[in-house]
Amino acid sequence: MDKIWDVIIIGGGPAGLSAAIYCGRAMRKTLVLEKKVFGGQIVLADIIENYPGFAEPIVPADLMDQMSKQCQRYGVVLENDEATALRREGQGWRIDVYQETLEAKAIIYAAGSLHRFLEVKGEKELLGRGVSVCATCDAPFFTQRKVAVIGGGDTALVEALHLAKFASRVSVIHRRDQFRAERILQKRVFQNDKIETIWDSLVLGFQGERKLEALEVHNKKTGRIDILPFEGAFLAIGTIPNTALLRDIVELDVNGYVVADLSLATGQPGLYVAGELIRGNRRQVAIAVGMGVQAALGCEDYLATLD
Amino acid sequence: MAEILSANDLNFESFIQTERMVIVDFWAPTCAPCRLMEPGLEQVASNHEGSVRILKVNVNESPKTSSRYYVRTLPTLLFIKEGEVRTQIVGAVNPQQIEKTLSEVG
Repeated sequence: MDKIWDVIIIGGGPAGLSAAIYCGRAMRKTLVLEKKVFGGQIVLADIIENYPGFAEPIVPADLMDQMSKQCQRYGVVLENDEATALRREGQGWRIDVYQETLEAKAIIYAAGSLHRFLEVKGEKELLGRGVSVCATCDAPFFTQRKVAVIGGGDTALVEALHLAKFASRVSVIHRRDQFRAERILQKRVFQNDKIETIWDSLVLGFQGERKLEALEVHNKKTGRIDILPFEGAFLAIGTIPNTALLRDIVELDVNGYVVADLSLATGQPGLYVAGELIRGNRRQVAIAVGMGVQAALGCEDYLATLD
Repeated sequence: MAEILSANDLNFESFIQTERMVIVDFWAPTCAPCRLMEPGLEQVASNHEGSVRILKVNVNESPKTSSRYYVRTLPTLLFIKEGEVRTQIVGAVNPQQIEKTLSEVG
């Protein structure tokens, strides 16, 4: 891999790849680093129905594959590697990756977020053995079995609807007495005979020897704790921003989100941010795409001052 | 040619009885992260030609093998040596993470 770049984009999800398309078209030597798989977390969803321009539902992995190819068409290099440190040195930036250090005039940080876990007993041990964060990947394992979805947002209800195609019963366990998901998703969930809701409830633990067997569920209103048998449990309780590398460089809020205005500049020369790690951001592909473009245009203005 | 073999319930046991480290990739055609992880696995296979064997197990076609190892999430990578599971990685990872795990258990 070349060591010196005009722009290095950290994160290969919708924000990072959208930024890369614009950097590539600005004829900047651009590298995108992605530590997992190109496409970001959206590839875990089975369909997208609200991305403007597509009247029919689209498969996220296909959409993201097109974005990757669009980047490559404009000379952007996509590299599967993890940025482990970021620092300003001289007039540019240094990024440590797996086995070397890279240099760039500008950085667009679009590293997205990580799955939030409940951090209760049994969760870590049973992850991959019944506890899951991806219904699209794992639903077939639970054909004609009872599963739970934990959460109340868009992701939780999309997962529940997908699981209902396989499982005998899907229980959505939510800590409040109403969902915050899109109304169209709520309507589908309420109309689906296979899906039930368990309101006002917290999961206190996951039980099972070698695979998940039951959930310990606490009803906040009645105070009652039940051990409910489930073979699968899908976590959809939100995310935490992947901003560890920015901690000493830019302003973060108490939850670790970057505080940024519409310019997506950070106050550090040549460092821009995009995507769901920004405070107040709603997790939507369309928003991430727009932010990626905005950051790339700001980045290009900055690079033009160096030319 | 790097060694990536397709295994199933019938031949799985014979494939893991080797002195080499075996990485078993449990996947399914409907699993997008599995598909996106493939180039990384190919890269690992070519880095360790002759010393590491990579087995791909389609869980839809080989339910016994996935049940045997309690696999419930895709992708799951098992690292097996002399027939015994040394460690596993649950979820999609990049080739560097596979390399790091190989160096730890190899």
